[in-house]
Amino acid sequence: MVDLKKLRESTEKIINRDDVKYVIGWEKGTHGFQVTPLFITSSDDVERLIFNPLCVHNLTVFLMLQEKLPLRKGAEEDKRKVGVIVKGCDSRAIVQIIQEKGLNRDDVVIIGIPCTGVIDPKKINKKFPNQTKTVDIDEDANNFVIKIDGKTHKVPKEELLMDKCKQCQFPNPIIYDVLVGSEIKTTGKPNYKDVESFEKKSLKEKWEYWEKQFEKCIRCYACRNVCPMCYCKECMVDQLNPQWIRRSVNVSENTAWNIMRAFHLAGRCIDCGECERVCPAEIPLVKLNKKLEKEVLELFDYRAGLDVDVKPLLSMFKPDDPEEFIL
Amino acid sequence: MAKEFEPNIIGFLCNWCSYAGADLAGTSRIKYPPNIKSIRVMCSGRVDTVFILEALRKGADGVLIAGCHPGDCHYQSGNYKTNRRIRLLKKFLNDMGVEPERVRFEYVSASEGQKFAQVVTDFVNQLKKLGPTPLKEIA
Repeated sequence: MVDLKKLRESTEKIINRDDVKYVIGWEKGTHGFQVTPLFITSSDDVERLIFNPLCVHNLTVFLMLQEKLPLRKGAEEDKRKVGVIVKGCDSRAIVQIIQEKGLNRDDVVIIGIPCTGVIDPKKINKKFPNQTKTVDIDEDANNFVIKIDGKTHKVPKEELLMDKCKQCQFPNPIIYDVLVGSEIKTTGKPNYKDVESFEKKSLKEKWEYWEKQFEKCIRCYACRNVCPMCYCKECMVDQLNPQWIRRSVNVSENTAWNIMRAFHLAGRCIDCGECERVCPAEIPLVKLNKKLEKEVLELFDYRAGLDVDVKPLLSMFKPDDPEEFIL
Repeated sequence: MAKEFEPNIIGFLCNWCSYAGADLAGTSRIKYPPNIKSIRVMCSGRVDTVFILEALRKGADGVLIAGCHPGDCHYQSGNYKTNRRIRLLKKFLNDMGVEPERVRFEYVSASEGQKFAQVVTDFVNQLKKLGPTPLKEIA
């Protein structure tokens, strides 16, 4: 686990720089196992900063959500940088956004944390239900050490880790200005077991499965709002002319929305799993994304968010791209 | 007597090659099924996946996208990019439980009236076997 003192020190150094507007990190939440994002605007806020296995949020989304208000006459734009604290997977989001030229590398200061895996809020809330007070969580090599009301619980990591973390390949940030802590050896391999077993189903079974899942969708668009890659100025679903997806909540529109959402992330999704975490209807959105990730890897030998200098998947081509018919 | 299922096809034809190819098929009086409704686009690269989905949802049983042969694109690389996109979409539709054969990407040049007719005939026969799309909007 990361040395909190060191993390705070480096954050303080960065927030004290003249060219940094604020730094985004995590702070203790107000309820149970919650942790909330923290915007550090001055060195006084630094002591609220924390990092523990409950820090699931991918904070890079806030880089893209920055509000740019119209300027008053004669006023100058605030061109200061924004700092952000990232885990391994989060850093891939930044790389991907830079690849797409959605963000300028010089506009962000990145503090990287080598991450040993985070806890799935759904799993921990199930294990310790009705927890209202905030909780201290620590970790050793194989266990999470959870202190509740003076009692210490040791829970094996396997039990509480997010599914994405169990097969994590990139625990170390790919891009960073400051790295807090030392790099971790990676053991993960791309694991598509879940997807592969699903592939074997027949078309009809697949359709029925997804129809059932999408029936649950209430179209709150939380998956879109939390996604660091969904930063279009106007989202396809908000568009009124032409209106591609109607607002009515029925299976047909829900299916259309979910297909388009997943497809827009083809070759872009960096597998941070945020969409599934926030989904109130518990639709297995990661499965969709993972599926596309696998196809992209197989067809085009491409993985999102690994190299700043590579062009995004669908805006480039190779003359020898696979084709399914002979000319 | 039960009527045979007649599939609806939306065809997105590229202005420079395939639309001219379809025109040639017409002027040369080559016979092909009337199931296809052609829409002219400036380049096959213009065809967003949302168009295809919308077509399928609004009652099309199949979508044909036709563009120039590789290397012939009026805009240099539009057809290559479409190829990537459609390849991926078909794979994805397969995982969603929609038959990927409902979407078809073909290269038809301006001189290939015969090929255009062939493609449409093939496609119609294929779709007749598949039946109506499951994606159809619930009215």
